[in-house]
Amino acid sequence: MSYIPGQPVTAVVQRVEIHKLRQGENLILGFSIGGGIDQDPSQNPFSEDKTDKGIYVTRVSEGGPAEIAGLQIGDKIMQVNGWDMTMVTHDQARKRLTKRSEEVVRLLVTRQSLQKAVHQSMLS
Amino acid sequence: MPAELRQEQSPSSQVSLATMPEAPEVLEETVTVEEDPGTPTSHVSIVMSEDGTTRRTETKVTKMVKTVTTRTVRQVPMGPDGLPLLDGGPPPLGHFADGPLDRHFLLRGGGPAATLSRTFLSGGSGFPDSPEPRDIPSYGSLSRGLGLRPPRGGPLGPGPGDGCFTLPGRREAFTEGPEPVPLAPPLPAGRSQPERFQAEPYGLEDDTRSLAADDGGGPELEPDFGTATRRRPDGGRGLRSRPYEDVAEDGGGGELMEERPPFPATAAPLAQPERGSLGSLDRAARRSPSVDSARKEPRWRDPELPEVLAMLRHPVDPVKANAAAYLQHLCFENEGVKRRVRQLRGLPLLVALLDHPRAEVRRRACGALRNLSFGRDPDNKAAIRDCGGVPALVRLLRAARDSEVRELVTGTLWNLSSYEPLKMVIIDHGLQTLTHEVIVPHSGWEREPNEDSKPRDAEWTTVFKNTSGCLRNVSSDGAEARRRLRECEGLVDALLHALQSAVGRKDTDNKSVENCVCIMRNLSYHVHKEVPGADRYQEAEPGPLGGTVGSQHRRRDDAGCFGGKKTKGRKDGEMDRNFDTLDLPKRTEAAKGFELLYQPEVVRLYLSLLTESRNFNTLEAAAGALQNLSAGNWMWATYIRATVRKERGLPVLVELLQSETDKVVRAVAIALRNLSLDRRNKDLIGSYAMAELVRNVRNAQAPARPGARLEEDTVVAVLNTIHEIVSDSPDNARSLLQARGVPALAALGASSQSVREAKAASHVLQTVWSYKELRGALQRDGWTKARFQSAAAHAKGPKGALSPGGFDDSTLPLVDKSLDGEKPGSRDVIPMEALGPDGYSTMDRREWRARGSAPAGEASEKEPLKPDPSRKAAPPGPSRPAVRLVDAVGDAKPQPVDSWV
Repeated sequence: MSYIPGQPVTAVVQRVEIHKLRQGENLILGFSIGGGIDQDPSQNPFSEDKTDKGIYVTRVSEGGPAEIAGLQIGDKIMQVNGWDMTMVTHDQARKRLTKRSEEVVRLLVTRQSLQKAVHQSMLS
Repeated sequence: MPAELRQEQSPSSQVSLATMPEAPEVLEETVTVEEDPGTPTSHVSIVMSEDGTTRRTETKVTKMVKTVTTRTVRQVPMGPDGLPLLDGGPPPLGHFADGPLDRHFLLRGGGPAATLSRTFLSGGSGFPDSPEPRDIPSYGSLSRGLGLRPPRGGPLGPGPGDGCFTLPGRREAFTEGPEPVPLAPPLPAGRSQPERFQAEPYGLEDDTRSLAADDGGGPELEPDFGTATRRRPDGGRGLRSRPYEDVAEDGGGGELMEERPPFPATAAPLAQPERGSLGSLDRAARRSPSVDSARKEPRWRDPELPEVLAMLRHPVDPVKANAAAYLQHLCFENEGVKRRVRQLRGLPLLVALLDHPRAEVRRRACGALRNLSFGRDPDNKAAIRDCGGVPALVRLLRAARDSEVRELVTGTLWNLSSYEPLKMVIIDHGLQTLTHEVIVPHSGWEREPNEDSKPRDAEWTTVFKNTSGCLRNVSSDGAEARRRLRECEGLVDALLHALQSAVGRKDTDNKSVENCVCIMRNLSYHVHKEVPGADRYQEAEPGPLGGTVGSQHRRRDDAGCFGGKKTKGRKDGEMDRNFDTLDLPKRTEAAKGFELLYQPEVVRLYLSLLTESRNFNTLEAAAGALQNLSAGNWMWATYIRATVRKERGLPVLVELLQSETDKVVRAVAIALRNLSLDRRNKDLIGSYAMAELVRNVRNAQAPARPGARLEEDTVVAVLNTIHEIVSDSPDNARSLLQARGVPALAALGASSQSVREAKAASHVLQTVWSYKELRGALQRDGWTKARFQSAAAHAKGPKGALSPGGFDDSTLPLVDKSLDGEKPGSRDVIPMEALGPDGYSTMDRREWRARGSAPAGEASEKEPLKPDPSRKAAPPGPSRPAVRLVDAVGDAKPQPVDSWV
């Protein structure tokens, strides 16, 4: 999953469309993300390449919109509604995902070594 | 205590003076708090900044002036030397007779002459002033100048060309101008010599140059200046070239002539240099770079100050502008001139020009005011205030789009802000404008953080630097000033954003960052007493956090509710919550405005600055901010103290105890003292900071190298910190023994010249002796009660060593005095409970202890819960040896951030 910034990334991607759930005043997606270019990539249990600073799905709430849409733990988010997520800070990714004005979020994710990632996360 | 003052006062020495008086207040408040209100140190910084700014500008001016002068001189000397006498004699007389004295001044001053003529000629329509007629006569003299020409052209070759070129503008003007008389004479003369100049090529080039130059200058003025004129003429080059040149020469002569005339006639003629500077300040540099050393004509003199000031009232705008520019030059680093300008009532004139319709005039006037407002002498600052200078500057800032003007305005305000009585005036008139026009836009902060655009970085522009410097000074003006700044919408948000941006880009050494941190520190001072609604968060009785009314009031969980403006650290804070019993307050909406000052999220920011910056003032301010925030007995201070620990800030601070800079050591020592109000912090600090603290004590007593002796305040701060961590903690007292602190303290107590130091040292010794369990060890080492007692007596110990509440020494109290007085012993309790779960705290302690000597691994132990990720190791300071704690920390990494969406 390593890539060179600025170069096109080749990866097997899957489209995931999540319809946000309204919870009180908030719209939630039901998953959590980790990573970002401002984070320490070596801490990421899901990435194969420990220098990958991409945004990864770290948790998915049971029965939440994300799970329903098929998002899985360890997915790497490549795009959100067409916006690149491979070179963003953690916070930028979070903001992009949580726009109040958007009820539907279309993700482009890759799912490499999902199995291994789950293992790792369980081990840790 | 000292810290704040410094920062605040960043202003020049004046400030310091002002500050000094405040000292007493500070002590009281500060005692406990960490305030930082200012010590004199800041002056330095302020001065620096001011100087920097001022100098730049001034330098610029100076250069230009010189150039100009040279040029002028040349022209003059060339022809004039011989001719002048002839020319000068007659014309002046005429002028004299015609005009009143004032006018003379104007004319003369006016480098004036030149400018005037141009203006009149070219813009004729624009300025229908009485002076014109007079000018005309002078032109006549110009024509004579032409005659001189030949000599110049010949020898100089191209060189003269330059001069000539410059002149052309005027000539054209002349040509166009209504005055027939002057033109006629020049033309003939010029014709005869055009060839030497090779008029055409040069002429063209010149034009270009001049144009370019003009472009640089304010466009508005152009018409007035020769340049504008030149452009027009372009139409007929052929014609131009010859007449042009001639004219040029004439022009040169003309200028001289005009000026000269006055000389003879008047007692004080205009000086060439002046003319040069005035007339061509802007472009002079470009025009005549080649000119070599100017020959000075003894007969010419610079305009007298009164003349220059009179020119500020000249009806012709360029004259005003030039006079102001020249004034700026004169004032550069010349206190005498500044004083005289004030005495001659020049400041109101300049302030009035700030609202002048012409941009160039406004700019020049502001430049002059900046230099005039710089310096230790507060009288000029007061005078500027008295004539409404502050509102005028603010108006100008609001209206100006030109960055140079904005730099000048903010630089002037920065200078003014170092004068105590002006601080509130600036706040009254300028806070909103400075914040919204400069701080917010340049900080990159946006009110709507969820915009699609990615967060902008701060721009470290001069305008931002000046403005932040101004606010930094202003923020030291007491509680009311702090309140106003805190409540200024967007200010705190923007400053925080700017600082985060600086940390993100690893650009933390610059002056702007320093200013921002200093403002933050000042605004953090007494935040627990001054913030609206602060009483809700007071921990009436130090006790478990849960009991706090305020906290419950606010408590309500939410995952992503922290606003986007906050620090990245916030997530970590959330994470920590999971395993730490300390409940950070939850908010239903993002913190904003002054609330951001004391959110635990800021801790990471300050720690990053402490880790990365090499700017001592920034280090001191960041430590001071933590010091301020961790003082006081309100809920947020408790959170801050715990957060510092959880963010692994203690090792960072301990490392800074080795700083070579006295004030950094002092701020850090006081911060550690405040932090040790948290029981666990106290244990950790006792274990790991003791060696460094003792080293500082030893240094105080016997400096490792000459000049390394710490200042008294610093030594006292260190001693008080030791006292605090040793109090109620036999373990820490034992650490002190192990660090061989007792001999160091005893030696200091016995040898120090300072009563305060001796007293503080004896307090510590008494406290140590009060632990019966340690007496055995002490006695084994040959210490006797007498030694401790004597030390105390020697130092005239206040009361019993054991009664913390009894200290009358203002330096001792850690927290609020009130707290001390009311609940001497209760303090200890607080932290313990706050820490909550036993497992947590015990583990840490045990581990720390166990590893006592083994440096590695502490970091992770502190926060046992998470397999610790890592925070970038604090880069060891430049020259500092790595400290144990630091090393350990180095391995520690920030925990991975994880956000629910």
